[in-house]
Amino acid sequence: MKRRLWSGLIGVVVALAVGALIMLAQGYRPFSTYAALFQFSLGGIGPFTTTLKNSVPLVLTGLSAAVAFASGPVNLGQPGQFVFGALAATIGGLYINLPAVLEIPLLLLLAIAGGALWSSIAAFLRRAFEMSEFIVTLMLNMIADFFTAWVIAFPLMDRKAYSPMTPQIVMNGWMPDFGLLSSSTLVMLGAVVLVWFVFHRWRAGYEWRMTGQNSVFARLGGCDIQRNFLAVMLVTGALAGLAGGLVVMAGPHRFIKGLGANYAWDGIMIAIMANNSIVGTLVYGVFIAAIQTGALGMELITNVPSEIAQVLQAVLVLIIVATREYTNVLLDRLSARRQAKERAA
Amino acid sequence: MNDLIALHNIVKVYPPNVLAVDNVSVSFSKGEIHSIVGENGAGKSTLMKLLYGLVPFDSGRIEFGGVNVRFHKPGDAIAMGIGMVHQEIVLIPQYSVWENVVLGAEPIRSMGRIDSRAAIDAVRSKIEEFQFNLDPLAIVDDISVAARQKVEILKLLFRNVSVLILDEPTAVLTPQEIPQLFAELKRLRDRGHTILFISHRLDEVLELSDRITIMRKGRKVATVEASKTNKESLATMMVGRQVIFTSKRTPHRRGELVFEARHIEMERSDGLKLLDDVSFSVHAGEIVGIAGVEGNGQFELVNSIMGLEQPNRGSFLVKGRDITSLSILERRKLISFVPQDRGKMGASLSASILDNAIMTHHRLEKQFSRWHGLVLDYRKARDFVDMLKERFSIQMASRQSEFRSLSGGNQQKVILARELLLATPFFLMDQPTRGLDVGSIEYVHGEILAMREADRAVLLISADLEELFLVADRILVMHRGCIVADLMTEKTTIEEVGAYMLGGRASA
Amino acid sequence: MNVLIGLITGMISGATPILLAALGGTFTFYAGIFNIAMEGMMLMAAFFAVLGSFFFHSWLIGLALAILGSLTLALIFILFSVRLETDEFVTGIALNLFALGITTYFLRQIFKVKGVFTSKSIVPVPQLNIPLIEKIPFVGPILSGRNLIVYIAVIATFFCYYLIFKTRFGLRVRGAGYNADSLDSSGVRTSRIRMQALLLCALFCGLGGAFLSLGYVTLFAENMTAGRGWISLAAIILVDGHPYGIAAISLLFGFFDGLGLFLQNYGVASQFTAMIPYIATLFALYVYARRVREKKGKRT
Repeated sequence: MKRRLWSGLIGVVVALAVGALIMLAQGYRPFSTYAALFQFSLGGIGPFTTTLKNSVPLVLTGLSAAVAFASGPVNLGQPGQFVFGALAATIGGLYINLPAVLEIPLLLLLAIAGGALWSSIAAFLRRAFEMSEFIVTLMLNMIADFFTAWVIAFPLMDRKAYSPMTPQIVMNGWMPDFGLLSSSTLVMLGAVVLVWFVFHRWRAGYEWRMTGQNSVFARLGGCDIQRNFLAVMLVTGALAGLAGGLVVMAGPHRFIKGLGANYAWDGIMIAIMANNSIVGTLVYGVFIAAIQTGALGMELITNVPSEIAQVLQAVLVLIIVATREYTNVLLDRLSARRQAKERAA
Repeated sequence: MNDLIALHNIVKVYPPNVLAVDNVSVSFSKGEIHSIVGENGAGKSTLMKLLYGLVPFDSGRIEFGGVNVRFHKPGDAIAMGIGMVHQEIVLIPQYSVWENVVLGAEPIRSMGRIDSRAAIDAVRSKIEEFQFNLDPLAIVDDISVAARQKVEILKLLFRNVSVLILDEPTAVLTPQEIPQLFAELKRLRDRGHTILFISHRLDEVLELSDRITIMRKGRKVATVEASKTNKESLATMMVGRQVIFTSKRTPHRRGELVFEARHIEMERSDGLKLLDDVSFSVHAGEIVGIAGVEGNGQFELVNSIMGLEQPNRGSFLVKGRDITSLSILERRKLISFVPQDRGKMGASLSASILDNAIMTHHRLEKQFSRWHGLVLDYRKARDFVDMLKERFSIQMASRQSEFRSLSGGNQQKVILARELLLATPFFLMDQPTRGLDVGSIEYVHGEILAMREADRAVLLISADLEELFLVADRILVMHRGCIVADLMTEKTTIEEVGAYMLGGRASA
Repeated sequence: MNVLIGLITGMISGATPILLAALGGTFTFYAGIFNIAMEGMMLMAAFFAVLGSFFFHSWLIGLALAILGSLTLALIFILFSVRLETDEFVTGIALNLFALGITTYFLRQIFKVKGVFTSKSIVPVPQLNIPLIEKIPFVGPILSGRNLIVYIAVIATFFCYYLIFKTRFGLRVRGAGYNADSLDSSGVRTSRIRMQALLLCALFCGLGGAFLSLGYVTLFAENMTAGRGWISLAAIILVDGHPYGIAAISLLFGFFDGLGLFLQNYGVASQFTAMIPYIATLFALYVYARRVREKKGKRT
C-alpha cells in the first residue's frame, strides 16, 4: 500500500514537471498555469463539485476497464459501450415520458442495457468463434462510433440544430442537482461501492479475480470460466454504458457528436494507473477530472491550450506505471545488496 | 593439479533477501570431472550461473587461468571458453539443429546473409568429431530429449569451449541413456576438457566424477575425491543429518475399486496418438505410481482426468460413477489434485495465501457462503487458514501475504493441505516433490503414506524412480501414450522399470 | 473501365499505410514484443510530416521529420518497456494516447487550428511516372503514377522478407521471439535485438504516417490514423507475421477502404461505408479463429 502511494506521488510530480517543461518551451509560466489549473478544479466547493461531476464518466469507464482487466477479459470496448449506453438512454428519453421518479431509473437501466448489449457481441463472438475480444472490442468501437454518427445525422436528428445531434430528452429524464452536487456523482459513488463489494466480497468477484490472475488455476479449482467471462463482459459493458447514459442525462441532455470521445480511453488509462484497483480508480479518476476541469479554466487565464491536459495524462500513465514497477525492482535490489554486504563482511 | 578456475568468497543475494550463495570458495582443475552436489535450493545452480555470467554476484572474485575475470553475460564466458548446458533445455524448437548450434556465431556472406551451406558443413564436421549421432537438418521439436541435450552440448563445443557446465543433465534422461552421456563426458575429459556436473543424484555423481564439492544452504561443506567417499557420507554432508534411504511403507491391504480408466484414447489433430488404449485402476488404500519419461502422455492423462482436456474415446470412473463428461467442478467433488507446476496450475502467485487456500472449498462447502452462495464468508475463511497453518505447520508471515512470498516447501504444503481437506476418495498427484528440499520431500511422502492409511486411492505421477519405489505399491510405466507395464513394486527393479520407460516392451 | 482503375488505385492507396505499419510491426512481432504503439507512431509521423513539409517547403524534410517523430515514440517505448521493464501493453496504450495528445496540442499551438490543418504550402510526396510502363494499356495507369511511398512500400515488402528469413539479424530476431532465453544463452543480448526491432518498426510506421498526410491526402487532421494501427496489428496476427501474407491482407483492407469511398457515389451513407474496413477485419478474424480451431483438432 505504501509503495503504491509513493509511486503515485512520484509519478504525479514527474508528470507535472514534464508538463512544466513543455510549457516553458512554449514561453508560458508553469507555476501560475498550474495554480490556475488547480484553482479551477479544486479551489472551493463549486469547482470541486464540478470536478466530481466531470469525474463520473471517467471513474465509471475506469471501473469497467479495471474490473475487466483484473478478471481476464481484455475489454477495450468502453468507447463503443459508452456511446451505445448514451444512445439507449437518449432514445428512451425521447419517446418515453414518465414521472421523474420512474423515468430516471428507466433511462439508467436502458443505458446499462445498451452498454451490456454492445459488449455482449464481443462476448458472443469469443464464446462461439474464439475471436479475440481484444481486437473485436476495438473494431466494435469504430463501428459504434460510425453507427451513432449516422443515427444522430439521420433518423434521430434534431432538424433545428446546426450540427448533428438529437433533440433534448424529456425533462423528467434530466439528472437533478442537490445544490451544487449533481445526482450523477451520487450514482457514480454508489456504483463504486457496489462494484467494490461484488469484486472483493462476493463469490463471483473472488472467482473473477482468481481467473484474471491464473485462469488454469481457477479452472482446475472448479470455476466456470465461460460463464464468468460472459458475466464480466456484461457487467463491464454495463458500467461503460451507464457512464454514457449519465453524461447525456446530466450534461447536454441530448446525444451530440463527439459526446463520449475521450472519456472511455481516459477511463482505460485511469484503470491502468490504478493497477486495476477499484479505490485507486476512484482516486485517479477524480484527479484526472481535476486536471481536465482545471485546464479549461486555466486556458481562460493563461492562454495555455487546454489540450495540454491530454499530454499530461499520457505522461502521467507512463510515469506512474513505470515508477510503480521499477520502484519494486529497485527496492528489492537495494535490500539484496544490503544483505550481501553483511555476509561478505 | 593445476587450477583452471578458482572462485574466491563469492556471495549472492537474490532480491529482496534470499541468500543464495554464502561466501563460497572452490577451485576446478583442467581435465577433470568435478561434481557439485546439494539438495534443491542449496545454491549449486546459482553458483554456476554466477560463474557463467547469467546472474551477477555481489562480492568475491573469480580467477580463470590465473587472471581475475568477471563475466557480464554468457557471451563473455563463452568467449573465454566456458559454456553451460541448463537444466531446462533452451533451444529454439522451431529451428533446426544447425540453426540452433550456430545461433549467435552464424557464418555470413555479404549483406548479413547467412551462409547456410558453410554452417551445415561446419556443424556436421563437429558432430562427427565428437561422435554425437545427430542430423544437422532435423528440427529440434521433432528429436528426442536426449538428442536435444546433445545439441546443447554441441552448441558449446562449436564455440570451442574448454569448460562445460552441466546442470542436472540426467533429470531428463532414462536410466538407459545415462551411460551414453557419461561415456561422452569421460571422452571429453580425456581430451583435456573440464566438466562441471551439477546434480543431486549421488549414485551417478560417484560413478562419474573425479572430485565432488558438497553445498548446503548456500555454503560449501567440503570438496572430496570421489574414490574416497560413499553415498551415505555425501548424503549426510548434503543434508546435515543422517538420511535414511529405505522405504517407510508398511504392508496395507487395498480396499474397493475407486478409480478406473477404461480404454482412454486421445489423438492430436495430425493423428498422433497421445493416449493409446489406456486402462488401469486404483483401489482404496493403494498408491499407484506412473513412471515414464516426460512427454509420453502423462500430462495429457492428468489433464483428461481433471477435465481440462477431453479424450476422444474411453471413460473415467470414480466410485463407479462415469465422470468423463462431467464439469470440472463436479469432478472436484470426487478428486483432489496436486498439479505438477505449483505456480502455473496449482495457485495464483499474486493472490493472498487465504485466497489460494479456499479455492474449490469456496464452492463445495456451504460454510463459506452466505446469502444463498452469493457472498463469501471471509470470517470462516480466515478461521480455515488458521487451522491449516496450525495443523500442517505452514510458515507464513500473514494470511494476507502474497502466495509467492512462501518458500517452495510451504507453498506445496498449502496446496497439499487444501486438497487433502476436500475429503475426496481419489487423490491425483503430479510430480508433487519437484523442486523441494529434502525436509519437504520427506514431509510430502509422509502425507501420501498417511492418505494410504486412511484408505484413500492415490495416483502418483513422478519422474523420480527412487520416489516411486519408496512410496508406491504398484508402478505403471507409460511410453508413447500406452501403459506398457503394470508392476508390483516389491517384485521389480529400477533397471526393469527404466527399460520399459525407454523402449516399451521391446527391451528388458 | 476508369471506374475499375479507380477502384484498384484506391485499393493500393488504402493498403499502403496499413502495409507499412504492419511491416514495421512484423519485426516487433517476431522479436516477441507485444507492440500496440503502431497507431501512435503513425500519428506522430503524419503530424511531423506536415510540419516539416509546411515549414521547409520540402516533402523530403517532411519525410525525415516523420521518421524522427515515430522514432521518438519508439525510443520512449524502449526506455520504458525494455530498460525499465514496464508492461508492454500499458506502454503501448499510453504512447498512443500521448501521441494523440501531443499532436492535437501542437496542432492547436503551432498551426493555431482545431480539427484539421490544410494549406497550399504543404508539399506532398510526389507521384512517380515511370516512362515506358505508363504506356502499357490498362495496367499502365495503375503501375505508373503512384505515389513514391507506394513504390517504397512494395520494395520494403521484399526487403523485409529477405531481412527476416535470410539474414543473421532475422535469425536472431525470430529467435528472440521463439525463445529469448535461448538467444541470451547464445551470447546475443535479446534486449538489444528488441531495441533494433522497435527502431525498424518506427522507420516503417514513419513512412506509413507520412504517406497518410503527404500522399493519401495533403493535410493533418486530429487522430487521422483512425484505427489503422489496430488494423495493421490484426493483419500481423492473421498471417503470423509473414511479410507476403501481410501484403495480401493489406491489399484486402485497402480494397474495403476504397470500396467504402466507391459506395458513397451510390448513395450509401458515408458512416456505413466507413464501417466497412472494420467489419472486414472482424470477418477476417472470424476466418482466422476458425483456422486455429481446426488446427487444434477440435478436441475439447
